[in-house]
Amino acid sequence: MAGFRLIELAKPFLPLLPEVEVPYEKIGFDDKVVYTIIAALIYLFGQFPLAGVSKEASGVLDPLYFLRSVFAAEPKTLLEFGVFPVVSSALIMQVLAGLKLIKVNFKIRQDRELFQTCTKLFALLQYLVLANVFIFSGYYGTDLSVVQITALNVQLVVAGFFVTLLVEVIDKGYGFASGAMAITTVTISTNFVADVFGVGQFPVDNEGHTEPQGAFINLIQSLRASHKTWTGAIVGAFNRDYLPNLTTAFLVLALAASICFLTNFRLELPIRSTRTRGVNNVYPIRLFYVGSLSVLFAYVILFYIHVGAFVLVQLIAHNNPSSIIYKVVGGYASHNNLLYVPQFPLSLLTPPKSFVECITRQPLTPLFFTTFLVITGIWFAGLWQQISGSSARDISEQFKEQGITLTGRREQGVTKELDKIVPVAATTGAIVLGLLVACGELLGLKGKGASIIVGVSGGFALLELITAEYQQSGGQSALAQVLGAPSGGI
Amino acid sequence: MAKSNNQIEKLAEAPVEFVKDGTAFIQKCKKPSNRDFLQIVRAVGIGFVAVGIIGYAIKLVHIPIRYLIV
Repeated sequence: MAGFRLIELAKPFLPLLPEVEVPYEKIGFDDKVVYTIIAALIYLFGQFPLAGVSKEASGVLDPLYFLRSVFAAEPKTLLEFGVFPVVSSALIMQVLAGLKLIKVNFKIRQDRELFQTCTKLFALLQYLVLANVFIFSGYYGTDLSVVQITALNVQLVVAGFFVTLLVEVIDKGYGFASGAMAITTVTISTNFVADVFGVGQFPVDNEGHTEPQGAFINLIQSLRASHKTWTGAIVGAFNRDYLPNLTTAFLVLALAASICFLTNFRLELPIRSTRTRGVNNVYPIRLFYVGSLSVLFAYVILFYIHVGAFVLVQLIAHNNPSSIIYKVVGGYASHNNLLYVPQFPLSLLTPPKSFVECITRQPLTPLFFTTFLVITGIWFAGLWQQISGSSARDISEQFKEQGITLTGRREQGVTKELDKIVPVAATTGAIVLGLLVACGELLGLKGKGASIIVGVSGGFALLELITAEYQQSGGQSALAQVLGAPSGGI
Repeated sequence: MAKSNNQIEKLAEAPVEFVKDGTAFIQKCKKPSNRDFLQIVRAVGIGFVAVGIIGYAIKLVHIPIRYLIV
């Protein structure tokens, strides 16, 4: 026996956990589109409010508001934690396997299965732990009865389990790309539409006035409202901080556009065939070599830090300013009775609520937050490009199989040459993304900046996969015909 | 002494080298032309908003459901 292996722990659960079967035959283009979209829509539909939450407002508010939209989490619904446990367990298990802290031989089928089950178990465990942290912190109300606690636990964990299966359906080849990415992308785009065009009305003052959620709709409605002047309406539409405003909408759009621009940065390496003469082509190495995963990883770490702090401050110290933990870690101050805003020193890793607040109240945050994002991003990108099956050596092996080589290089030199380029591309991309996220967040987007970056790059990756698959299937698609395509795409 | 100085220098040079490599890489990159960029923005934008609207329609269904069960 070659030492103890962590994945063996999953063995007894292997027959217990349901698993999505890999499709028997190849799934057609149309089916894949439908599977992907429906899975994401089922997820959206699952945002039911939790039963068993006590009616009286509790003093404990949402401490993770700025992390939620990245993980498609909706507060006080079944999807309280969104896809966070799924994403984090997948990323962390892969990283641990890449660092050889978990011994897995991916060439053996049984090892792969065990690894998968282990990842799923880890995700479920996180749902359970997070649910109980939130329940016992008093987030769902103080003095919950045993029945309520059990009900909340069951709801959160079962919903979480359902999400893992939903993600697995897409992952296993029924849909495009990775499940978590498809789901977050759709949720983020939904939230964006809701923030700009949402028509749901919310009460804003005691006189019974309401304002719509969407920033643009709000502008129009305020212009027509009789209790507001024109200037007041316009200023309000750009400035309100209780609901989405137009300033945020424009900032988010600017970020989205810059991501679209930067995603297309690529280094084109000239390649030629070793079998036929005169066949030349280019092989692109993109700037965002690991995509938005570096941002996701940084946010996973942030999530852990903040949940850890929440446990310490709320569960152990009860957010009591005189306790020692409060003084060391920082506590929470409530804002508008909606959010729990972390205080110094925890605020160093919390994006500010607005730019002005950033300058006046947390002047050190820009430095810390940016450094944190950039450094975790670099570390992760450097590691990920090695372990994700697209490292320099993997590419040169692909080249060898397909009989191509870099122009002006012998076949043996290809790995060396790629080794000079790929890690640089991955880490540079991570830095650029980190800086962009920091920029958006420090301007006070409260997580919308990071989420739009993850969303747009996810959407871009999906679009790329879909067009590639569409071209491969030779345009044989009933969906495209219905929609009146060929939709040239990109 | 000279050796350790050398090492410190090397340590200080690492980030500089790193940034240099990075900027060189970005400069060598092929950037999308204006036309490409507009096309990409249109494709991604239409997809994003279309999916968003479908999603929002589903969220709207939730409003009466919330009334019923809460």
